[in-house]
Amino acid sequence: MESEELIRQVMAEVMAKLGSDQVAPGSTITAAAAKGASARMDATKYPLGEKVPDQIRSASGKKLSEFSFDKVRSGELTSDDFRIAPETLEMQAEVAESVDRDSLGRNMRRAAELVKVPDDELLEIYNALRPYRSTKAELYAIADKLENEYGCKVNAKFIREAADVYELRGRLKSE
Amino acid sequence: MRSKRFEVLGARPVNQDGYVTEWPEVGLIAVDAPADPKPSIKIENGVVVEMDGKKRADFDMLDIFIADYGIRLDNAEQVNAIDSLELAQRMVDFRVPRAEVVKLTTAMTPAKITEVVNKMTVLEMMMACTKMRSRLFPANQAHVTNVRDNPVQLAADAAEGSLRGFAEEETTVGIVRYAPFNAIAIMVGSQVGRPGILTQCAVEEATELELGMRGFTAYAETVSVYGTEQVFMDGDDTPWSKSFLASCYASRGLKMRFTSGTGSEVQMGFAEGKSMLYLEARCLYVAKGAGSQGIQNGSVSCVGVPAAVPGGIRAILAENLIAMSLDLECASSNDQSFTHSDLRRVARTLMQLVPGTDFICSGYSSTPNYDNMFAGSNWDAEDYDDWLIIQRDLKVDGGLVPVLEEDVVRVRNHAAKAIQAIFRELGLPEITDEEVEAATYAHGSEDMPKRNVVEDLKATDELMKRGITGVDLVTALDRSGFDDVATSVYNMLKQRVSGDYLHTSAILDDNFHVMSAVNYPNDYLGPKTGYQITDEKWDQLKNIPQAISPEEI
Repeated sequence: MESEELIRQVMAEVMAKLGSDQVAPGSTITAAAAKGASARMDATKYPLGEKVPDQIRSASGKKLSEFSFDKVRSGELTSDDFRIAPETLEMQAEVAESVDRDSLGRNMRRAAELVKVPDDELLEIYNALRPYRSTKAELYAIADKLENEYGCKVNAKFIREAADVYELRGRLKSE
Repeated sequence: MRSKRFEVLGARPVNQDGYVTEWPEVGLIAVDAPADPKPSIKIENGVVVEMDGKKRADFDMLDIFIADYGIRLDNAEQVNAIDSLELAQRMVDFRVPRAEVVKLTTAMTPAKITEVVNKMTVLEMMMACTKMRSRLFPANQAHVTNVRDNPVQLAADAAEGSLRGFAEEETTVGIVRYAPFNAIAIMVGSQVGRPGILTQCAVEEATELELGMRGFTAYAETVSVYGTEQVFMDGDDTPWSKSFLASCYASRGLKMRFTSGTGSEVQMGFAEGKSMLYLEARCLYVAKGAGSQGIQNGSVSCVGVPAAVPGGIRAILAENLIAMSLDLECASSNDQSFTHSDLRRVARTLMQLVPGTDFICSGYSSTPNYDNMFAGSNWDAEDYDDWLIIQRDLKVDGGLVPVLEEDVVRVRNHAAKAIQAIFRELGLPEITDEEVEAATYAHGSEDMPKRNVVEDLKATDELMKRGITGVDLVTALDRSGFDDVATSVYNMLKQRVSGDYLHTSAILDDNFHVMSAVNYPNDYLGPKTGYQITDEKWDQLKNIPQAISPEEI
């Protein structure tokens, strides 16, 4: 689109929507991402795949140091073997924390819990977390399932927290 | 009577661009809108009870998320109490190490960091970028697309792009259902040009994740965040859904960065009267809080908006600087075209090219403009030599290297043959020798024979249904004699087991060695420190085939 045309359109839209911003009461929710085990890995061991490959296993349990192209050829390594293990994500979280990247580390820990959740289910949960898609009860049910079936404690807490914020801000599916 | 001078000026390309005067009430202002909040923070029992003039009870969804996840609280009250000018001086002063600055910036509120960077000129911001870039050395990213989604051309352009030096390559689609072919074509092609290139396919969030899970892409980038709650909702996401998505990617061993940029809130009509830079700062704290390793920002696809207002291009540099200062990887835009003027497009890019960013363009179009499916780029394939000669003129490393025509032809041909072999092995619609030949020498899709789109799309659907994965591509390549390419694709898949490239600013060299801000942190402390172009690299950059040597005369 030509930029002048774009600006005209922007201005028109802006004028049409002036004053319709929503104002709603705030919240008092606190964050408390759970912490994992005490730090074992740090930046000196990084890249882990090069420096400590014997300590890394795929989600299917195979040692990274024993991976080879020939094993793909022979069919010994399949698609399922090219998946990261929760323990590896925990190690990478420790590396992130050793260089003061705590929020990246928290993300890796949430990810570690999600390794065992099937692809389809992950996509469903993501869609359910989008605005106006779920009721509070539905989000709480997802959180319970994640916690009970897959042991996803941090993610369950995170999703319940999302449900509470969505409720506060009017972003739940209307029942 | 009309002035002849003004007639000439009126016809200049720069006067075909659109400009607007500032209109703060609707957010058409780059920085410093009257409604921008004054910085503040109050913490009680570890909880933020006031941020940027707002009490917790009045927080919107983004405020809650930023206050709870986005700001380092242990020294936040002290840092935010420091005079903004003094903080700006520390960011610019090369004697203050990056790590020390990051301790300050990550403790600031969005309004505070906006106020701090707004104390700087563009030159000072560039100085700060040189130090604050997360990775020791810069790199570049290419767009690899074409208007017909032709997979043979995609593979060839990807191969040429990696040979030319791009560390990452991004494709997207004209027709959505082509996505699996496009993803596969650039992944395979890129490995031919130079092993270790990271590739992505920008499509709708859920599809993008699925392609990654399959092993057809190595990373994702189009995880968009916005600076006001209403625009976030219109973007069909929340900070929580995006954080969850970020974790989904990491759980599959896939690199991921968020995307944001000035102007998106104005463009979508809910800027709440705030300046573009302040709203972008909010986006960046959301990205940080979500645990993203990085961000693509710099207005990106909204560049027409900041480019139209006074100081808009300065604000784009400022938002890149804020991203790096929050210790995020910064893919600094310089992508979507915004001007008819060659002078303006170069001036805009110098802001990132001179200091160097993690990815100067995100990306540079590896095709002619008509084939760029991201609505055109600020830099196209036609500009390759201009880019190289600007690098040579200024002695800067903009991520590209001079290449020989015969090498380009060779890798394009090898990539086209590799994708031909995969299609044959997997029973996908035939790629003819004629197509391989055309792709080898093509400039754009106008040089390519047309494919049967209906058959192709049927085949993409079947490919997904059959459960084909990256491993199937490896074995297909191996069976057809492309063991070099097969080995590279295998090594790319292996990356997702170790997860080393999940870290900030990670790219791979041609031995699949991960280079990120963890093992290659930026240690710039003034002249002759930080990243220095080696003699070997300088020889490579200055050695352009167009130059005449005394021996030739």
